[in-house]
Amino acid sequence: MQFNSNDSVSSLQSEINITPLVDVVLVLLIIFMVVVPLLMEGYDVDIPRASADTSAQVVESQLILSIGSAACPMFGPPAGEGIPKNCQVTLADQKIAAAELPARVASILGRRPAEQRALFLAVDDRLNYEGVLRIIDLAKSAVDDLKIEFVAAN
Amino acid sequence: MRLGEPARIQAAINITPLADVVLVLLIIFMVMAPQMRKGPDVNLPNTTKPNSQGDERGRILVSIDEAGGLWINDRPVAPEHFDETLRAAVGAEPNPRVVIRGDAKLNFRQVREAMVAVEQAGFRGVGLIAKRSGAEGK
Repeated sequence: MQFNSNDSVSSLQSEINITPLVDVVLVLLIIFMVVVPLLMEGYDVDIPRASADTSAQVVESQLILSIGSAACPMFGPPAGEGIPKNCQVTLADQKIAAAELPARVASILGRRPAEQRALFLAVDDRLNYEGVLRIIDLAKSAVDDLKIEFVAAN
Repeated sequence: MRLGEPARIQAAINITPLADVVLVLLIIFMVMAPQMRKGPDVNLPNTTKPNSQGDERGRILVSIDEAGGLWINDRPVAPEHFDETLRAAVGAEPNPRVVIRGDAKLNFRQVREAMVAVEQAGFRGVGLIAKRSGAEGK
């Protein structure tokens, strides 16, 4: 780049060109201003309306996952990542280890059309919220567009 | 510019002060961003693959703090006033959506009661906000 094309004697330029730096920083500033405080991540869930009528045909195809406090004793936030090894859940009346959940849910719901992929959760009230979310996370991990609905635990 | 030399016209704008100001603004935003959130400090549950819940604007934030206290947006609410406060928070919003920010230490009953209350106020479906494992922020 020639700075002083009209000068016969080119003088040394001692300053760093900070224009590209300013460009980058301005863009970073805009990104931080607009994006950072506003994005959230989480899980969409439903609670069936108390008045909603459940026809027999719908009930038949419901896949119910129950998480009880006896089989899955998570009363405090689980340490580290994932869920404790001793956690067992009941999927469609079968007791399975929580770690098997993605494969089982995928094998049952994977064949269904997308709008029928729903998992009904019956969760014990005493369980820790973070543990419950991690089980939802696990159940959703293998199936796309899985709808989660909470039903009353019995 | 050397002394004694005839001053040349400088064609470039001196942007060094601009750069200073912008850098300071950037630092302010980086530091302030986590505190700009509405609502109380909630230690969100860690999960591996939460889905995007989109922009915080246009969502109604129901927060449940560690002690089980309910908040709507940035105000604490008594459970008996939850319904009317939630409806007031919606206002004329055409397509309102409620998200629940529950603390990781809560038990499921407290979150379920909030979900039931949201549902009784006339909303179908809520988002349960989590934090991606290893991600910074609250």
